[in-house]
Amino acid sequence: MNPLTTTVQETGTGTVLRVAGELDYSTAAELRQVVTGLTLGPDRPLVLDLGRLDFCDSSGITAFIVARNHATAAQARITLVNVPGPVLRVLHVTGLDQVFTLEPGTDTRNRGAAGS
Amino acid sequence: MSRTDPVPDRPKGEATASTDAAFTALLEDSAEELYESAPCGYLSTLMDGTIAKINTTLLTWLGRSREEVVGRMRFTDLLTVGGKIYHDTHYAPLLSMQGSINGIALDIKKAGGGRLPALVSSLTKTDSDGRPLLIRTTVFDASDRRAYEQELLRERQVAEGARRRAEEDRERLQEALAVLQSSLLPAALPPVPGMEAASYYHTASPDRLGGDFYDLFPLDGKRWAFFLGDVCGKGPQAAAVTSLARYTLRAAALHDPDPVAALTTLNTVLHERYAAGDPRYCTAVFGVLEPDGDTVTVQLASGGHPPALVLREDGRADYLPTPGGLLVGILPTAPFTPARTVLAAGDTLLLYTDGLTEARTGDQRELFGDDALRDFAAGLTHTGPQQVITAMTGLLNSFGDGLDDDTALLALGVPTNRPHPVSDTPT
Repeated sequence: MNPLTTTVQETGTGTVLRVAGELDYSTAAELRQVVTGLTLGPDRPLVLDLGRLDFCDSSGITAFIVARNHATAAQARITLVNVPGPVLRVLHVTGLDQVFTLEPGTDTRNRGAAGS
Repeated sequence: MSRTDPVPDRPKGEATASTDAAFTALLEDSAEELYESAPCGYLSTLMDGTIAKINTTLLTWLGRSREEVVGRMRFTDLLTVGGKIYHDTHYAPLLSMQGSINGIALDIKKAGGGRLPALVSSLTKTDSDGRPLLIRTTVFDASDRRAYEQELLRERQVAEGARRRAEEDRERLQEALAVLQSSLLPAALPPVPGMEAASYYHTASPDRLGGDFYDLFPLDGKRWAFFLGDVCGKGPQAAAVTSLARYTLRAAALHDPDPVAALTTLNTVLHERYAAGDPRYCTAVFGVLEPDGDTVTVQLASGGHPPALVLREDGRADYLPTPGGLLVGILPTAPFTPARTVLAAGDTLLLYTDGLTEARTGDQRELFGDDALRDFAAGLTHTGPQQVITAMTGLLNSFGDGLDDDTALLALGVPTNRPHPVSDTPT
């Protein structure tokens, strides 16, 4: 079990939140707390970098929806980058790939493309 | 520093003299004074119980004068009715047999009407030939002790009551949970002419209400509706959503059985109810069955739910794709993807929740997955809905603790034309 770690980086063009480790029932609340504490706006979009996310269950998906609601309320764009294959599959089944902007994204840390 | 020693050694004789002085002061009391003012009651009675002598302490407790008592009252006259009975049936016979009796709890009756809990001991005085002469009795005030005992008893009764109430609360809670859980699932699937239906619900945790749901019910005599879904989360909050989803879909189906319309109604209801605060949503497949001759037409729609599996009589097992259908309840308006298929004799439609495909298997704890499910189902194409559910139940059980989510299964099929569905085992 890798515990969840979140890193917030303010860039000139917005906020990057890197999520690493396992996102499940026991850790999702932590991500929800971090993400709803971010100050977003029309010119302060949010990028969720999931490149190092090892596991994500439905509680994690709920946390992404909370992030989206928080961004939408602030009229901020939200983008998921470096989405690992298994998470991408869940986003596809649940139709959330239409709700979130997904980018292969090498922009946050020049890491390789989406995981497994 | 010995100069300031506060307890210098004294000769032993000095200490002894001081103790003797204290004793002397105490011994100024005469034996008579000790008898009269002892911290317990004393009385002497004749063998018939008549009180011959009584000390001041006991008279004070009784609230009576010596003249009232001595020669006029018997010992039993000092006791309450219950005390008197106990005296006559136990106390006196034992004393007569043993010559003494110790520490018996009796209630003494006061002149003013009150009672004094007491511990009573008696000793029979005999003459040189062993004949009983009189009875000497001591009476100890036991009101503090009795109060203490009653306090202990009261506390035990309070603890007992609390335990009983906790037990009753637990039973009521379990009863409520069972009633609520049973309101989330149909007690039995209704018969659909020309079809067979079977279901199974695996509960991951017996004391947590599950979030999966399914149903099958008639629409208008020619058509039947079914649905199966999965509410995010567990426990009472999820169960409340499950209940709302089930009854909304049932009502929506009667109003407009079009699958996309039914899911759209559910989306509106869930989004409106849970838009603010904690997001609550579900995935669901809703469909309508329309038997027509030997076949059944299935129209369904999915909102974010894993695709249904169709097991064909000819040995194929394929997913019925419904891409693009969104989770129900997260957006004010949501797209839902319709799909259609026709079930012929021997075909079965299998709906499931992701507890099945997301079970962890093997040493690497890998997800069971869509491909493994399709391969497993392909081995069941010559059976029927009930056998499919039985085999799937066996599969779920084989996952052991790799299955940590609730899982619902619903199989709907057209019985094969063959009289008995047997496998095509080569002979």
